Amino acid sequence: MTESAAAGIHPQSAATPTPIAPTKLKVRDLHFYYNGFHALKGINMDIPEKKVTAIIGPSGCGKSTLLRIFNRIYAIYPKLEAKGEIVLDDENILDSGYSMNRLRSKVGMVFQKPVPFPMTIFENVAYGIRHHEKLSRADMDIRVEQALRSAALWDEVKDKLKQNALGLSGGQQQRLCIARGIALKPEVLLLDEPTSALDPIATGRIEQLVEELKSEYTIVIVTHNMQQAARCSDLTAFMYLGELIEFDRTEQIFTKPTKKQTEDYITGRFG
Amino acid sequence: MSSSFLYTRRRITNALALTLSMFATLIGLIFLAWILWETLRQGIGALDVKLFTKITAYGEDGGLLNAMVGSLIINFIGIALATPIGVLAGAWLAEYANRTRLGESIRFLNDILLSAPSIVLGLFVYTIIVLPTTALTSGNTTFSGLAGGVALALIALPVIVRTTDEMLRLVPSTLREASLSLGIPQWKLTTQILMRSARSGIITGVLLALARISGETAPLLFTAFGNNYLTFNPMDKMSSLPQMIYQYANDPGEGLHAIAWAGAFVITMFVLLLSLASRLVLSRNKVSHD
Repeated sequence: MTESAAAGIHPQSAATPTPIAPTKLKVRDLHFYYNGFHALKGINMDIPEKKVTAIIGPSGCGKSTLLRIFNRIYAIYPKLEAKGEIVLDDENILDSGYSMNRLRSKVGMVFQKPVPFPMTIFENVAYGIRHHEKLSRADMDIRVEQALRSAALWDEVKDKLKQNALGLSGGQQQRLCIARGIALKPEVLLLDEPTSALDPIATGRIEQLVEELKSEYTIVIVTHNMQQAARCSDLTAFMYLGELIEFDRTEQIFTKPTKKQTEDYITGRFG
Repeated sequence: MSSSFLYTRRRITNALALTLSMFATLIGLIFLAWILWETLRQGIGALDVKLFTKITAYGEDGGLLNAMVGSLIINFIGIALATPIGVLAGAWLAEYANRTRLGESIRFLNDILLSAPSIVLGLFVYTIIVLPTTALTSGNTTFSGLAGGVALALIALPVIVRTTDEMLRLVPSTLREASLSLGIPQWKLTTQILMRSARSGIITGVLLALARISGETAPLLFTAFGNNYLTFNPMDKMSSLPQMIYQYANDPGEGLHAIAWAGAFVITMFVLLLSLASRLVLSRNKVSHD
């Protein structure tokens, strides 16, 4: 299938309705192939700045795939291919000339399972910063503290910064990963099912944190938990079988979806 | 009725399988204990201070000091050469060449080296080091501890490559993704994060390689040769425990047999302690990643 044909089948199928903020990430006719398998079929989407955009849909619909294109983390595996455009600040991040280093300092990511580095709590946050910036010891201390405060973790770890991060609880580890991500002062924060490995209390804290972080960051969160999307996002995108079915304000999606598939999924008829 | 019959049958099968596997374990353990017992029983007569303080030049009245020192030096050279090369090669295989055709071919070649007969490696080193140094120094330097160390390094190398490769590939890919998504480059990820994660496994590999080479005899016959006097100079002919055991075991003298048994006991204990140490390293650093 050629790109134009694909675009023809899904003409601007679900671009953002009334813009609620300037667009941060502009996705245009995005196709993705896993070793030949057509996983994303012509996605068009405008992700607004400093808002929380949730991506929902049944397993295998391509929501994580889409998220993993935003920082091109997919590129570390062979035989994966993305075609189309993702414009971040007037530049197409899919251009082969776009520096990975730069992209990943602008677009941070938090994964499904917390993956602290095998180092101290302090080093976990400082490690990434040190790669991008040369800071004095005092400045580094401040930066690490800021990041840990923003991730609502500072009070719990301030007395044990020199301890191994692997000794933290799962929820704390996940907040450490968020701190590690925001320590680089990214513009976009990608969250790939960040609470699926956490208990309800830790989940609540992360959701609260997402709410606080959106004043500074553009957040895209993939979740299989519809209540979570409803609770903490401004916009919700529903994906199904590699296509973006509907993308609208969250209350719109959850109260008056325009597409039948969206309604069926929201009301639990499938997925 | 039939369900209780099924249950009974399952219980019998279970008991049978359990008994058989326990029996199999027991056989393995019996042989280990037997080896230790037999070396100890036969060598007990020679297991005294003399063994550790006197050299082989005194024969039946001597000990194995020069052989022990030689073994330590040769093994040290072997491990010192094989570890950096092996760890780097293993890291390259796991992190840069994984799932590539070149990587798979090299992994295969490494496995061949892993199973290469050690005497072949000894002959190889004899040809590439012993013969040329003999020619270059007009016979002043021939066999040497260094050549022995190189031969042992060739045996240790594939073991270290393989364990490093496997241990790194066991590190969950999420750790790689998390690091790369912070913009951290591959080389930093490999050396500072993944190797740290896999550290205990890699150290275990090195210790196991050391255990493996400390019992090697054949490659040393053509390289270090043997020496009845104590030397610390790696350019000298050098004695080693396995080589002395081999030599004494072939000797008709009864007293020498006891010394050989005592040497065998020392090596066995050394290898056993190394294995225990590697177990300790593994369990102490076991922090789960999932």
